[in-house]
Amino acid sequence: MSENPFKIIRSTDLPPEHLKQDVVSSVKRIMLLMRFMQLFMSDYSMAVFEKFRLVGSGNGTSANRPDTDLKPDP
Amino acid sequence: MYFKKKAKPDIGLSDEELVLSLQQVMDADLFGLLYDRYTARVYQKCIGMVRDQDIAKDLTHDIFLKAFVNLKKFDHRSKFGTWLYRITYNYCLDHLRKGQRQRTSQVDEGMGLELEEEDRYEEELLSMRSDELPTVLEQLDPGDRAVLLMKYQDELSIKEMMEILELGESAVKMRIMRSRERALVKYRNLYPDLS
Repeated sequence: MSENPFKIIRSTDLPPEHLKQDVVSSVKRIMLLMRFMQLFMSDYSMAVFEKFRLVGSGNGTSANRPDTDLKPDP
Repeated sequence: MYFKKKAKPDIGLSDEELVLSLQQVMDADLFGLLYDRYTARVYQKCIGMVRDQDIAKDLTHDIFLKAFVNLKKFDHRSKFGTWLYRITYNYCLDHLRKGQRQRTSQVDEGMGLELEEEDRYEEELLSMRSDELPTVLEQLDPGDRAVLLMKYQDELSIKEMMEILELGESAVKMRIMRSRERALVKYRNLYPDLS
């Protein structure tokens, strides 16, 4: 059998030199974006926590409040 | 912590060690080492699939970004190279099918293989002239083309193809057989005097 034609047509070209720089730059941009997203997520959860606390204290659901909040009116 | 001040990239690390490090600490320079190790293979695979250097360059760029973004999902059950090959294969197929909207035919796992006939088909396929083969491959469905390149150019084992295609053994064998048959039909139509 003659030589495998699939092997003969295999490309031996190499990617252009600047492609690595392009990829690494894009990776750095993605990392930056992910870092911002992490910041946003932590701020977001804090914001939700704050909101929950405010709503909770004003709605009179006293079950989870400390005893000091349950003093009877004079 | 996901992001941390990086240490100097260690070029003595194996692929698996590099990936483990990257899964703990994202680092563009460390990823650059993985890029160096696999870029030629990914680029050449893209050229084999799309037969255009500019498109292959863009696909290679996107494939490495996709790998970076999904690196945390790599579970080390297969080799990193096999995982990257799967991304490359799927990405090239998606690209080729965008304009084509062609679905791979359903694989019939129940069909038996006539081994002697199969050998004959394989012999006929491998006796194609190398200046005619690219034309035949170009006319095939991208899925068939990819399967033939995996089997006859990259000489992947059935097990590796099972991992990449996410199919069972008999389905992979059936897909190879079908792709080979379709390639031979194209060949006979294109070059009736030679076949």
